[in-house]
Amino acid sequence: MSLDQTETGRQQDPGDSGVARAQRSNRILDLAIRYGFLTLLVGLVIFFSVFANGFAGPRSAVFVFQSVAITGILALGVTCTLVVGGFDLSIGSVATSAMMLSAYMMVVLGQSAVVSIIACLAMGAFIGLINGLLIVKTRVPDLLATLGMMFLLVGLQRIPTEGRSIATGMTMPDGSTADGTFSPLFLQLGRHRFDFFLEKLLPVPVLFLIGIAILVWVFLELTRHGRLMYAIGSNERAASLAGTNVNRYKILAYVISGVLASIAGMLLSARLGRGDIASGTNLLLDAVAASLIGFAVLGAAKPNAFGTAIGALFVGILLQGLTMMNAPYYTQDFVKGAVLVIALVFTFSLSARRTGSH
Amino acid sequence: MKLLRRTTLALFAGLAASAAIGAGGLAHAADMPAPFDKPGDVKIALVRYLSTGDFFQAYLSGVEAQAKALGVDLRVLDSRQDAALQADMVDQAIALGVNGIIIQHGLTESMKEAAQRAVDAGIRVVAFDVNVENPKVPQIEQSDRDLARLALEQAVADNGESWKAGYVYVAGIAPLDRRDETWKMFKEKYPGIEEKAMFGTLDNPIANSVANQTRSVLQANPDIQVMFAPYDEFAKGVKIAVDEAGLTSDIKIYSADVSTADISAMREPDSAWAATAATNPAVVGEVSVRALAILLTGGEPGASVIVPPTLITQKMLNDNDIKNMEDLSAKLPQFAHADAAMTDWMPLPPR
Repeated sequence: MSLDQTETGRQQDPGDSGVARAQRSNRILDLAIRYGFLTLLVGLVIFFSVFANGFAGPRSAVFVFQSVAITGILALGVTCTLVVGGFDLSIGSVATSAMMLSAYMMVVLGQSAVVSIIACLAMGAFIGLINGLLIVKTRVPDLLATLGMMFLLVGLQRIPTEGRSIATGMTMPDGSTADGTFSPLFLQLGRHRFDFFLEKLLPVPVLFLIGIAILVWVFLELTRHGRLMYAIGSNERAASLAGTNVNRYKILAYVISGVLASIAGMLLSARLGRGDIASGTNLLLDAVAASLIGFAVLGAAKPNAFGTAIGALFVGILLQGLTMMNAPYYTQDFVKGAVLVIALVFTFSLSARRTGSH
Repeated sequence: MKLLRRTTLALFAGLAASAAIGAGGLAHAADMPAPFDKPGDVKIALVRYLSTGDFFQAYLSGVEAQAKALGVDLRVLDSRQDAALQADMVDQAIALGVNGIIIQHGLTESMKEAAQRAVDAGIRVVAFDVNVENPKVPQIEQSDRDLARLALEQAVADNGESWKAGYVYVAGIAPLDRRDETWKMFKEKYPGIEEKAMFGTLDNPIANSVANQTRSVLQANPDIQVMFAPYDEFAKGVKIAVDEAGLTSDIKIYSADVSTADISAMREPDSAWAATAATNPAVVGEVSVRALAILLTGGEPGASVIVPPTLITQKMLNDNDIKNMEDLSAKLPQFAHADAAMTDWMPLPPR
């Protein structure tokens, strides 16, 4: 509130030139908020193209996209829950659970790719449904409900194999050998590359990322459902009084998030070619960072699909560029943190000042 | 006469015990020195710092198998990477009245005093892969320096004495630091080896994160011929990236550690993963228990008990048609058993 007071104080300055100056600085601020982050992104690309050997070029662009495909898809899921004023901490572990489940289905149970994919999607939707019901029906706060789900899944995914990673030829707890293999069709999900100008350029996960980003963007920005979800996020009570079925949309948001997380998990499994024991905490943190950075893109100051995709890309460009310049691993977390802090300053300080002055 | 009677008594006790518990590895209980003449009364605790992952799972199975062969009562306390909790768990084990403790990984700072408290309480302690700076606590080691040396010697044998290398390393992890010492020595010994890039991360899933990094490194340094990734999760990530970049036949990967998944990755047609050096984590687990058992009988296993590693090449795996860890133990006997911490009375787990 003190922000408002300083703004009104400034507007009461005597003299026309003062008003004009204030208006001009407002316009510059507006531009900075709207395009600052995109400018930074372009600047980063130019910087690495000059200084990082081999950064400029279609192949580098593709693997930057590939490196963020999985976190990007997860981040789009987080964005959907952020839109309804919720939060999903379980996405990382849903993803790793889907990875384990797909490997278990194929390697241990000898199922086909299609059955495994359906099972993973069903699991993602089911976990999203449970999350939603916990939050809506039992009134457990979203952070706590999904935190609980996260721990539950981290444990659950290890029970069938007693904590071992799943690979063809592994020994099961009962002493038998699992001799199923990953279906080639399933592996293509993570490994196939489509020809696009260059031969074998575009990997499938990148297409998934772009496709899902467009779908989520269309859903949130252009459909009535999406706008109602934003309405719930900004004022749940008002939305409910206006006749929106708040509970149903909240559950829907968690189901979307669960399904997207399971897709990310399958892509991960197809890339690695095995079921890897992992808690998924790093996936969660990176995804949350990407969707929060997304707040700052185009000065949206709210969760949005375009921003999330750009946010994920931004982190990807930074990390890949730094790796190419031989920067050690600990600088990467530092850089991620710095980007996030800058983005949050963009969002909360600058945008708040802008809305305050209008 | 008296001696004979005691032996007979012990024999009977042993027979009774083996009859009661079943035909485990207890047939020789009578031959074992005190306190293993009554193995059921011996309690040992395994206090763990790291437990997630195939290596630690296999280590635990080795500890369990050897404890069962001895017939002792094993308690497993798992601190799940919480250093303070691990120290508390040592106190908990002291309170439980155990005879011996195996400390598995951990931080010197937090475990040094905890180990001392256990020793003061008259408990025998051995430590695996953590230095508790106590002369009364023998160190079990899987000789990381030898692991790295074996893999690098193979790299030199395959590629000659001068090549351009990519190196995957994260500082501050004790076994990786020890492997790093060997890498530095090798670079000095063979000036022709040029390290073009050093990278690495422990963000999990590690293989996926390392694959992303490797793509960048290969793009920036297309002339890399050899990747030294002295941890199998690193090597898996490097292999994914090498395959994705279409450089499978141009780059060779040398690593350390092995698992069933690693074996199938190494055996893929034209796999870039040329060799790995490994100790069998299950054997390391068995050796840990045996060293503790020797201590408990008043013997001396030595200040450090080293489990020697085995070199595993792609060719070995293909020639012997090895598909998983069980095949590996069956076809390479040096991998299935280490003669470290052995005595003539020591019962071994069934193979």
